[in-house]
Amino acid sequence: MDRRSRPKRHEESRENSRRNPTTRTIRREAIRLEDVWVAYAGSGKPAIREINLFFPLGKLVLITGPNGAGKTTLLETCLGLLKPYRGKAFLLGVDTKSRKILEARRKCSYVPQDFMKPPYESYTARQAIELGLVLENTPDKNTRVEWAAKLLGIEDLLDRPLGTLSGGQQQRVYLARALARKPLVMLLDEPFSSLDRETRKTVAEILRNYVDRENTTVIIVSHDTAPIIELADTTIWMNEGKVVKVEAK
Amino acid sequence: MLTLAAAAALVSGGLCGTLGYYIQRFKITTLSFSVAHAALAGAATALVAGTDPTYTALATAVVFALTIGLLSPKIPHERELLSLGFFSLFNALAVLMIYLSNVYVLSSASISVVLWGSLLAVTKPKLVVLTGTLVLFTAYLALYRKQIDAILFDKKLAEAEGINVNLHTLTLLLFSGTAIALALKLTGGFLVFTLLYNPVATSTKISKNARKQQILSTTIGALTALTGLAISYLLDLPVGASIALTSTTLLLTAHTAKTITEKTQLTKLKTTPSQQTTK
Repeated sequence: MDRRSRPKRHEESRENSRRNPTTRTIRREAIRLEDVWVAYAGSGKPAIREINLFFPLGKLVLITGPNGAGKTTLLETCLGLLKPYRGKAFLLGVDTKSRKILEARRKCSYVPQDFMKPPYESYTARQAIELGLVLENTPDKNTRVEWAAKLLGIEDLLDRPLGTLSGGQQQRVYLARALARKPLVMLLDEPFSSLDRETRKTVAEILRNYVDRENTTVIIVSHDTAPIIELADTTIWMNEGKVVKVEAK
Repeated sequence: MLTLAAAAALVSGGLCGTLGYYIQRFKITTLSFSVAHAALAGAATALVAGTDPTYTALATAVVFALTIGLLSPKIPHERELLSLGFFSLFNALAVLMIYLSNVYVLSSASISVVLWGSLLAVTKPKLVVLTGTLVLFTAYLALYRKQIDAILFDKKLAEAEGINVNLHTLTLLLFSGTAIALALKLTGGFLVFTLLYNPVATSTKISKNARKQQILSTTIGALTALTGLAISYLLDLPVGASIALTSTTLLLTAHTAKTITEKTQLTKLKTTPSQQTTK
């Protein structure tokens, strides 16, 4: 090892950390949950409990289970939208209760379960995707929008108002927005719910390829395991707020 | 004097109309409602303390907006009920302060400011501050237009993507508190929130398009405040009540027109297939 280069690298790393505080904490982990318990106000019982999970970068993870198993709660806890009352949750190495969580979230993408917009929604598909890039200072926003739209097969819909699109088309717009952000972690809540069988398969393959190419972690919550279960690196089964089975390939 | 009052009506109506649009889209109507009543309680306190109602209204509105703005993200499920609790508290405080002040002042200029507003209350420095607030708010909207747009599109998604939704909500509440405290002298404390909510409610009856709603809300706010002021001057009526009655009449008219239009369209849809069958 070249000893002279050591201090330089160290200085460079310190400079990077100063510029971006999350660089310090982002290593190879996407999500870490340590004995996490989450409850909704007034419910009287935890929605999820005793959750211990670790997802490194570059993995495709499927979380499945019946209705009320706590899948969405788990996903929102990973993002820090819900805070654990016991245990700790880390997103890209950042404690979700820390103020730096906003910076960590900027490196992530999310597709919510309740995405449908009313028929009078006037934002176009292009604007909806662009709104996911508002915090980015890159000049290639338009290229990214068109790349993601082409990937999801919605390039012809870009200038149509979102309200005029079908549920499946709107869901693909949200997926395109998630991909256009070029995230380190993607958290997708029932991303296949409005897609037909053929499109599900295509989208699942797009996500698998994206994980392999970009070293991104994609976490998919879905009560329906097909077709992603065959492509996932890890499958987690949940029931009554607990992880009941973890299967890694 | 009348020119000053007209300018204040236009500026406060436009500012509150615009704020009302964002308050409704951010879903913080109840929060801002309690901020409006904090301003009222503050103004009423001035009657006992013998200070300028604008300053006490401004102080209480800003302090309460800060408090509720910082507290509400920590209690998202209870914030509506908590706001209503504060609404009752501030109303009670306002009534108590009016009771504690000398009853003979009920017809005086100072109490009219708290209850029904006054044309005489508008001064040049206060108009300058009001205009300054409008300029600041417009600059804030221009500076953070894209982030605000992302929140309006999907609040939860914006939060998940790292936009500081809580900070923007707090900023909006602070602007609301300031605008309410400044407009309070014109409309009176009990009616000031009509400037905030009636214009946006009317705009939603006229158009479903978000951008049109924003423009309509600002325009309706400014025009109803000006019309109400003119009615007050011509008929010698309290200015706050005149503005509130004008904007409520417009809201009810828009609602009735929308209901009739929708029913007519539905009737047409019902009759069209049967006519086709007959043919």
